[in-house]
Amino acid sequence: MRRSDPRWLIVFLANLLLWWLTGMANDYLATFSVHLYLGGLLVAYASLQVDRQQGFVALMLTGLMVDSVEPVPFGTSMLLFGVVHATLVYGRQRLPRDGAIFGTIAALFSNLFLFIALSFLLVGANPRPGEAWLRLFVDLLASQVVIIVITPWFLALQSRAMEFAQIHPETGRRLTL
Amino acid sequence: MFPKRFDQARPFLTLGIVLLAWLFVPLAVKSFTRATFFEIQAPLVVADSYVQFLQTFWSNRMHSKDELLQAGQQVAGLIAQYDYSTQQNQQLQAEILRLENLLNLPPMPAFRFEPARVARRDFSGWWQRMVIRKGENYGIPVGAPVVFSGGVVGRVTEVHRYTAVVDLITSPTFRLAATASGDNRPVSYQGGLNDSFKSPRGIVEFVPLDIYATRTATRRLVTSGLGGVFPPGLTIGDITNLESSADGLFKLGEVQLDERLGSLTEVTVLVPLNPEEL
Repeated sequence: MRRSDPRWLIVFLANLLLWWLTGMANDYLATFSVHLYLGGLLVAYASLQVDRQQGFVALMLTGLMVDSVEPVPFGTSMLLFGVVHATLVYGRQRLPRDGAIFGTIAALFSNLFLFIALSFLLVGANPRPGEAWLRLFVDLLASQVVIIVITPWFLALQSRAMEFAQIHPETGRRLTL
Repeated sequence: MFPKRFDQARPFLTLGIVLLAWLFVPLAVKSFTRATFFEIQAPLVVADSYVQFLQTFWSNRMHSKDELLQAGQQVAGLIAQYDYSTQQNQQLQAEILRLENLLNLPPMPAFRFEPARVARRDFSGWWQRMVIRKGENYGIPVGAPVVFSGGVVGRVTEVHRYTAVVDLITSPTFRLAATASGDNRPVSYQGGLNDSFKSPRGIVEFVPLDIYATRTATRRLVTSGLGGVFPPGLTIGDITNLESSADGLFKLGEVQLDERLGSLTEVTVLVPLNPEEL
């Protein structure tokens, strides 16, 4: 048994990297009034591949990181990520979770849920919610397309990071290369 | 040992316990945690902005001497124009001071102009915000108005050590008392109509019935200076259409905002010289 277990830290740092890249992309896309939300992708690896407690800690921290830069009640993303994580962990033993295809599907559905939940929470502030949904639909579409494209890379990045740290993501056992 | 069925539900139980504990965490701890997590990410945002600035710098260095000479001539022309405007401004300021003294009027709010670079733009259907590269280190206060050459940009909503967050006038959460140009009756402005691939729009409410605006004959909407920190006369946008409200007492309509709001790289924060004005 390893004394220090960095799995939560690896997942958290990978999520921080993805969140930073998404922020940069959104900065460029601001001119076109399009916005990417990739919350579902932040959850996918932690919930499907990592030990449930380590994944939970990583996602709680990720949720707080996301909430700190968004004008939502502090803890909103933490709650939503927690719900998605619990659901995926509940069913993951019965699902073919190895490989990028199922990871991509899980990220897409998670993102869909998170996006709709946030929209219902926030769209009420808009003076014309009906028109706001059209904009949100375009944003959701763009986000889902980006998730399809980058999920294999992001899952591989986290797997490689675990390999680099010589640790098995689920059992925490030391890997010999 | 828990039964297998209960063991599978443990993730939900853990989540429930954590959330219950979260509800009882004191607000001060939550505020501190939020600020900490923001400051952890702030260097990334600012570094990204500096890299963009460096890119622009090096791409500008690629210009030929002829192009630079032409640009220099244009800048010289602009400086001459601004010199003239400054002289006019000084005369008008003196006139305002004379009238204030003559009529015993309270002085107009005074501001210090703090230019700031935009580090990150975050324009979604839920909110419209930007992070600027100045914060507590430059004395930026919460609530300070932010402007650019085209008029109002927004209002400072969060101030951190080296950065500040600005809520834009395109944001659904942004409300402001305004007036149609040439009229002094206040109307209500709210942002929030941000269709993809289109210029941002806002809505205007409680417009008096004798004010008219159409797409071909728009009416400028400016800040009223009432009930807020914005000085009067700053451009918000152009009212493009007005129609009678449901009760028939007022009109409501749409405001076309400046499309440059989506690509701003530099803004000016108006820092009140008297902090009590915020």
